[in-house]
Amino acid sequence: MKIEKLLHKLQAFFDTDKHKKRQHIEELKKILLKLKKKERKIIRSMQQTDEDCLRKHYQTELEIIRVQRKKGIETLQQLKERKKNLGAPS
Amino acid sequence: MHKALLLIVIPLLSYGFWLSAEFKGIAAGVSIFLFGMLSLEQGFKAFTGGVLERILQKTTDTSWKSFGFGFLSATLMQSSGLVSVITVSFLSAGLLDLVAGIGIIFGSNLGTTTGAWLIAGLGLKVNIATYAMPLLVFGVLCVFQSGKQLKGVGYILTGLGFLLLGIHYMKESFEHVESTINLSEFAMPGVKGLLTYTAVGIIATIIMQSSHATMLLTITAVSVHQITYNNALALVIGANIGTTVTAIIAAFGANIQGKRLAGAHLLINLCTGIFVLLLIKQFGIAVDIISASLGIAASDNAMKLATFHSLFNLAGIMIFFPFINQQVALLEKLFIEKRPVIFQPKYLDISAMDFPETVVESVRLESIHLYENAIHIILRTFGLRKHDLQKNDDALKQLIGQDNNSVEYNIDAGYEKRIKGLYSAIIAFISQAGFTWAMSQSSKLSWLREANKHLVEAIKDTKHLQKNWIRFRASRNQAATDEYNKIAYQIVLHIRQIEDFRHDIEDNELPLLSLDALKASIRNDDMQMNRAIETLIRERKITPETGSSLINDSSYMRSIKKNLLKAAETLFLHSDTGAAKAEQQLTLNETEINDVVHTVDTQ
Repeated sequence: MKIEKLLHKLQAFFDTDKHKKRQHIEELKKILLKLKKKERKIIRSMQQTDEDCLRKHYQTELEIIRVQRKKGIETLQQLKERKKNLGAPS
Repeated sequence: MHKALLLIVIPLLSYGFWLSAEFKGIAAGVSIFLFGMLSLEQGFKAFTGGVLERILQKTTDTSWKSFGFGFLSATLMQSSGLVSVITVSFLSAGLLDLVAGIGIIFGSNLGTTTGAWLIAGLGLKVNIATYAMPLLVFGVLCVFQSGKQLKGVGYILTGLGFLLLGIHYMKESFEHVESTINLSEFAMPGVKGLLTYTAVGIIATIIMQSSHATMLLTITAVSVHQITYNNALALVIGANIGTTVTAIIAAFGANIQGKRLAGAHLLINLCTGIFVLLLIKQFGIAVDIISASLGIAASDNAMKLATFHSLFNLAGIMIFFPFINQQVALLEKLFIEKRPVIFQPKYLDISAMDFPETVVESVRLESIHLYENAIHIILRTFGLRKHDLQKNDDALKQLIGQDNNSVEYNIDAGYEKRIKGLYSAIIAFISQAGFTWAMSQSSKLSWLREANKHLVEAIKDTKHLQKNWIRFRASRNQAATDEYNKIAYQIVLHIRQIEDFRHDIEDNELPLLSLDALKASIRNDDMQMNRAIETLIRERKITPETGSSLINDSSYMRSIKKNLLKAAETLFLHSDTGAAKAEQQLTLNETEINDVVHTVDTQ
């Protein structure tokens, strides 16, 4: 009985960790989606202005978002791969 | 003075000048006198914390010493009015306190009676106005010197010169009024005569701006039997009350302490006057006894008047001198200092001190209050208000470029009113709370303290920038004006972006990642600005001197933006949520931000 209880606790611990990882991946996906939306919004704003100073602002923002998205996609891929490796039989 | 009131006063004065040359002279005299007061005050300020302050402190640290100081000064200057005026300016400059000031007034009241003895005994009258011209010449000479102390001496001498010149102009303009004063016209027996002559004495002294002149008039009139001896006594009492008008005029240009002292002078002399009027018979007998003991002939009314003048001032001193502190309390009640409206903390509650999380949240909310005030000051410097941020870019640019925007906003006054009190309260609250707590709350408070510091720095930078912003806004060099407008526009744009960032936090629209764009745009704007300045210099559209001013001011612009952003980051972001942790992974470091700026620049 004691061993059974211990195993249950161990299972729950690993599940929490798994759940947290899954949640983290979901958060990242949401962020990437929001970034994509933001990118489109900025492109629209940039098309509406002739102001050099503002265009430069928008360009900078766009470039920042591109780098952030790139970073996000890379992190997501790494997390997915790690998850796959952990799940694969040794 | 209120602007609307000024609009009424100026035409009224102009009409008065057109009607009467005497009125013009009197008004000019009062103006020169008040200008002298300002100059005197400025001169004394140069010595605050220095030799003069130490001398004054040593010579006036007790009531009796102040009394002695006043007595000696009035005896030497032969004018209690001038002594009281100088004392008013000492008080205004913060060199003396009210207790010492009142002590000096008592002393000068007695000191000035030596004048009556001189007039009665030797027929002398010291004309202080003759000192005006040399004082002005020496004063101006000293004002043009570079040393602070010498400049101070210059302002004091010029101030004294203007005071005397002002009095001289007032006297000159009233000269024909003075010549029409025939004291025998008012000859009346009994109480009626006593009161009438007291009023005549007051009016004559106000008009002639000298109690000595009234004394001279009285002594002459009594010696030729134009008036009775009893009426002459009333004239002397009136002169003693009328002499306070000099200090009252001076108080118009003084602060509340100066006004209180002028009030004290009037109060003391008026009360003494009433007291002596009530006991005039007894005083008459006392004068006879003292005069007889001094060997003054019973028929020598002039000398008896001098004795009376000294005696009743002495009586006033004996009655009121022991109650200086009570007088100060009364004057503080009568003349209440109007304090400027200062923003008070809204969220700092001492009872929350036992709950660390509540304290952190209170300090955060109060710091946001300070942030709002800082933004108000910065926007007002560029002629805008917060609601203008909602306008579109063109309208915003137009507002910044408007000519009436160059009206200088008083940043110092804004800081005193909107920042200083709050900042001090926050710092005091943090210091009380900080050291007793767990590490996490202490570090949060320390971050909040830093955020407040950034806000104060941003205001200081705005103040530095304001000088040239005002100067070049009115410049004929359009290129320079355009660049300064650009600086203002970029700062305002940055504030608007921070406002957007606050909305991003509320809408959970990746606030942490928005910060990277803001950081990059600070760097980008700075680079663009420097490049534009270099081009303008190369193309000779602006001088290298203007260029260097622009470079300095663009550094202030960068500093303002950075400080505001750092403060906003601490004040508005909550980085403990799961989403914030995921966002944190995607934020860019300095090198990555620099790379982005470089990429955009080469596009």
